[in-house]
This record gives sequence, C-alpha cells and structure tokens, in this order.
Amino acid sequence: MNSRKRIVIVAKKEIIEFIRDWRTIVALVLIPLLLFPLLFIAFPVVMQNEAAELNQKTVDILIQSNDIDDSLVDLIENQTAMVAVLPLDGNLSTLSDAENDTEELRNLEYDAILRIELRNDTWYYAILHLSTSEQSNEARSRILDVLIDWEDDLRTQRIESAGLDVESTLDPLQWDGPISNADVATKGEQAGMLLSLFIPFVLAIWTASAAVQPAIDMTVGERERGTLESLLSLPLTRTELLLGKWLAVVSITAVGVTLQIGGLLFGIAYLASDFIDVPSLSFAAIVLLALAVGFYGTMIVALYLALAMRSKSVKEAGSVLTPITLAMIMPILLTQFINLDDVEMFWFGVPFVNVLLGLRELLLNRIIIEHVIVWVLVSSMICLLTVRYAAKQFHREDIITTKS
Amino acid sequence: MEPLLKLTNVKKSFGDIHAIEQVNLDIHKQSVIGLVGGNGAGKTTLLRLMSGVYRPTSGSVELENNRPVSEMRSVLGVVPESTGLYSKLTAWENIRYHSRLHGIDDQLAWDRTYRFAKLLDIEQSLHRYTEGFSRGMKQKTALLRALAHGPQILLLDEPTGGLDVTSARTVRQLVRKLKEEGGTVIYSTHHLAEAQQVCDRIIIVHNGFIQADGTPEELLSLTGTESLEEAYVSLTSETARPRMEENEQPSKMSRIWRRLFTPKKQLEVNEDE
Repeated sequence: MNSRKRIVIVAKKEIIEFIRDWRTIVALVLIPLLLFPLLFIAFPVVMQNEAAELNQKTVDILIQSNDIDDSLVDLIENQTAMVAVLPLDGNLSTLSDAENDTEELRNLEYDAILRIELRNDTWYYAILHLSTSEQSNEARSRILDVLIDWEDDLRTQRIESAGLDVESTLDPLQWDGPISNADVATKGEQAGMLLSLFIPFVLAIWTASAAVQPAIDMTVGERERGTLESLLSLPLTRTELLLGKWLAVVSITAVGVTLQIGGLLFGIAYLASDFIDVPSLSFAAIVLLALAVGFYGTMIVALYLALAMRSKSVKEAGSVLTPITLAMIMPILLTQFINLDDVEMFWFGVPFVNVLLGLRELLLNRIIIEHVIVWVLVSSMICLLTVRYAAKQFHREDIITTKS
Repeated sequence: MEPLLKLTNVKKSFGDIHAIEQVNLDIHKQSVIGLVGGNGAGKTTLLRLMSGVYRPTSGSVELENNRPVSEMRSVLGVVPESTGLYSKLTAWENIRYHSRLHGIDDQLAWDRTYRFAKLLDIEQSLHRYTEGFSRGMKQKTALLRALAHGPQILLLDEPTGGLDVTSARTVRQLVRKLKEEGGTVIYSTHHLAEAQQVCDRIIIVHNGFIQADGTPEELLSLTGTESLEEAYVSLTSETARPRMEENEQPSKMSRIWRRLFTPKKQLEVNEDE
C-alpha cells in the first residue's frame, strides 16, 4: 500500500470521528454558515429598533439665556423635549464651562443644557451634556439639529437683507452631477476594497481559532486517551501520521472557513445588496486567493499540531494555543493599516503578514507579479519549516508518554 | 531453529534513566511467553521495543532474516495496556481502521474478526460504538483489532488487567488457541498464577534486567523453591524502583514557578522528606 493511501485513511478516520460529535457540527458548520447572514439581518433590525425607541423618548432640556428667541424655544420643544428656560449666569468665563451645572447633568435632572447669548450681532452657544449617557447624547443631537436649521434661516435672512443671492453666496463652488458617477472603480471593485479589509481578518481569525480544537484532539488528546501507542505500532511512518492528521485538521478548518465566506457573500448578495456588491475577481486572483489561504492554513495547522504534540496534557495544549491564537491578531491588525498603493516590498517577506497582504491585494483584483513571487516563496519556506518542526515533534520517541 | 524475534544486547535509556539493561532474548514460533515483573520493572518498555514504538539506545531488535522490527510491523499485533480504542467509532470501525493501515482487504479482515469475535462472544457488539463498552469488551475488541491482519506475533500488555474472572478466562483461552494454531504470543503480566496457566516460558523482569528466563519448572529448579511465587520473590529481592513516569521531573522553569506558589511550610516538609 502506498504512502498516500495511508495518509488518506488516517485523515478519513479523524474526520469521521470528529464530525460524529454534534457540537462540532454546530461549531464548524452552522455557526460559520449563519454568522454573517444573521449579522446582516440582526444588525439593521436592532439598530433601527434602538433608534426608533430613542426617537420616541422625551428628553429634558434646560435653556440658559437672557435673550433667546421664543421661536427657537418652540423649535426645541417640537423635538419631543421638555424645556425649561432660566437666565444665564453672568459670571461664567466661557459658555462651555459647566461649573455649577455639572451635578444637574450627572444626576440626570436634565439631559442637556443649552447656553446661548447674543453678543454684537453674533449668537454664542454651548451645549452641556454627559457623553456616557445615550439619552444625553440624544438630547444634544436634537438641540444641534434645531440650531443648524435655525442658523440656516438666520443666515438666509441676513444675506437677503443685504440684497445678495442666497445660493450663489453660500455655495459659490458646486459639484455637478451624482458624485458616485465620478468614481471610475466598478461596484465590484469598490466592494473588493471594502472586503479586502474584512475578509483577510475573518479568514485569519477563523482559521486560527477553528484549528485549535481538532489540533489538540488529534495529538495530545489522542495520547491522553491512550490511542496513540497502538497507532504507532502500525506499519505507518510518523510523517504519514502527521500528514494524515494535518490533512484532517486542514479539511475541517477549510470547511468552516469556506462556509463562513459563503455565508458572508450570501449576506452581501441577498441581504446587503443596497450597501455593497459581491467583489469582481479574475480567475487568476481566485486561484491565488486559494493558494494564499492554503499557505496560511498549512502554517497554522502544522504549528498547532507541533505545539499540541509537545504539550503534556490537553489542558497545557489549550493554554499554549489560546494565547498564540490571540497573538495572530497582531499581524492581522498590522495588515489593515498598510497602504496598498505604496506598500514596501519587505512586507511581503514578513511571514503571516505577507499572506494577509497578498489576500488584500487579490481581493482588489490586483496581481502584482513581484509581490506574488515574494509571498509565495517566503510562505513556501515557512510552510516547509513549520511542517518540519511538526514532523520533528511527531518523531520524538517519548510522544506516547510525554511530556515535553 | 532461527528465532522469530531476536533481541541482542538491547539497552534503552530515557536521559539518565536506564529503563532496560543488556537484554538478550530469542522468541521462537508457536510459543506463549510471559513477561512477569512488578510496576516499573520494564515490561512495557520491553514490549514497546519489540513493537518498534521505541528504538533501542544500543543493541538490536530483529525479526527473521535480520530485518529490523520497524520495517516489518505487519507481522505484529499489539494490544497496549490502555487498549487504545476510539470511542466515537464502532468496534468494527476501530478494527477496520487498523487492518486498512496494514493493507488488508476489508472482507478478509471482517472474516478473521468475526471468527475470533465468536470465540470471544462479542460478535453481536461489532457494530456498536465502543463508548459504552465495559473494560472486558474493550480488551476483547483490542484483541480482535490486533488479530484482524493475521499477525505472526501478538504482543499483549497486561491483557487481563481490570477484567472480571470470565473475561480474563476467555482471553486466556484465546491465547492458548492462537498457540495451537501456530501463533506466538508475548504476554506481559504481574500475576504469576496467570503466567503459569498460559505461558510455556516465563521471563522475570526486574529493575530493567532479565532476572530469569525459562519454563516454570526451570525457574523452580533455578531458585530451589517450591512455588513460582517464592521463586519470584527470591529473584527480585532487590528493592523495586519507582515507575518510569514517577521518575519524570518537571522542567527547571516549572520547578521554580511551583516553588513560588507553594506555601513555605509545605516546602520545608518536602525538603525534609
């Protein structure tokens, strides 16, 4: 029997054993598949409901002024607000200094306080509020809306009274036609730009987190259950055993990642098509995307299998792999801040970061040959090193009993 | 007659710990050999050397025609002490997994399995998940798994450990039957009475050394005692060492870390000990 067949037998058995646990199906199939569609449905619904709820709330507003116009008070009252008007304290250094009014806001006696004063034909104002209170923020926002409209009216009146044309005075420079028509990027390319920040993040986090449990279960878990010894006495090399397990973990992780991306694209196409489009990618970009994901998965899974095999127990493996998974956020975040239009070549030589940058470029449908060559070469080398390291751990003689 | 399995000057060390010292053994066809010794004697290490799971630090473990055991694992059937069954697979799936890795056709493996399963009275449970199996059922399934590819040598590590009287008896009957059919069984146990019932030859392992090797009668004559128990006691009078696992020390970093979080009083007690 050839080596490939033995590797497939090991992988098949691992996958069968893994999927017989219903919790695995929930974690690796249902959650990734439904996560984004549910987010696309739930987010707008929750946000709309919260906004509507907040809109209906009556806010308490105190106006401190000695010369406020009654029309302005009426406008604020029309914003579902209970308004009280008191004279303005003349001893304030500026209107923004809360001073004695701090407690009234902290005790939620008032949600916001508008101070307004006319000095030499100009109105000066400040809105005191408590930024940690949703209702106070809402009150501030309603006052600002009213003030902006009121200021517009005032401005128009003053321009007209000076005998000028309002539109040409206020907007002497104007955009002609719909702004979106001026962007030469297609909707698909725009979607690619947006998703290039998002998909590498999802891919990297999901690959890193989805591989943890199967990697532990198939190595140190197998040792703890006492199944490893009988396996090592079979006509199967340890490299074949590693590759069989690696194939199983990669397959399980790949299913999870594919379903999550599928769920995301479904959500975009059917639930969020008003805001974003499905990115348009060339065939070569899709092939390279798959290659980049393959590299990332190979490195992560081989590293996890090696570290799990080195661990003394399932518990120890968990406490080693969890911080590593969290640490993977670092390269992911780093790639979000790198400007792809002016990216230095060395970034494509940094392991992990290079694959994620490659993913970002490919989602923009940009295939820059020099970049691709560097990240493919470096990632191939890192893959080899991680697989070699994993193989070294699997070849340790003490893996049945140890214990690193 | 050329031995089926030959251990020559085999020594096995784990760092500073010498688990097996200068072992020379010839295992011939159609025999049941008992490896008898206390906990930590080195029986399991010796079996792992024979199965190729461990490589000797020095010396050689060879099968017929001087071939290293690691290249000829298909001639071996191994039942480790832990049985090593996958709980989310059925008994047959567990057996089939190993027989496929041995390169055996499923139908052939099934026929062999079913035949032995009837002898062990477990044929009705072959399609059940092993998760709910008793210790005896697990041991029988592990035996079937080791036999499905038709090995020449069967290595059994404490095969009756934790079994009830009936199950242990069934296992012993199977071992005898295998011998009748021309098989070779190497059987590790710490029960002398059991070894006497099943084995043609008993090897007493103590602190990593082979203290004695012969038929029960030869051991009695060697020690001048009337029972095997007395023979064993006289051969292993030296204090037994602790089990290998107990000898394993935590890393330096772990030791320092533990000291930081161990009450001072307790540390003083440990140091006094």
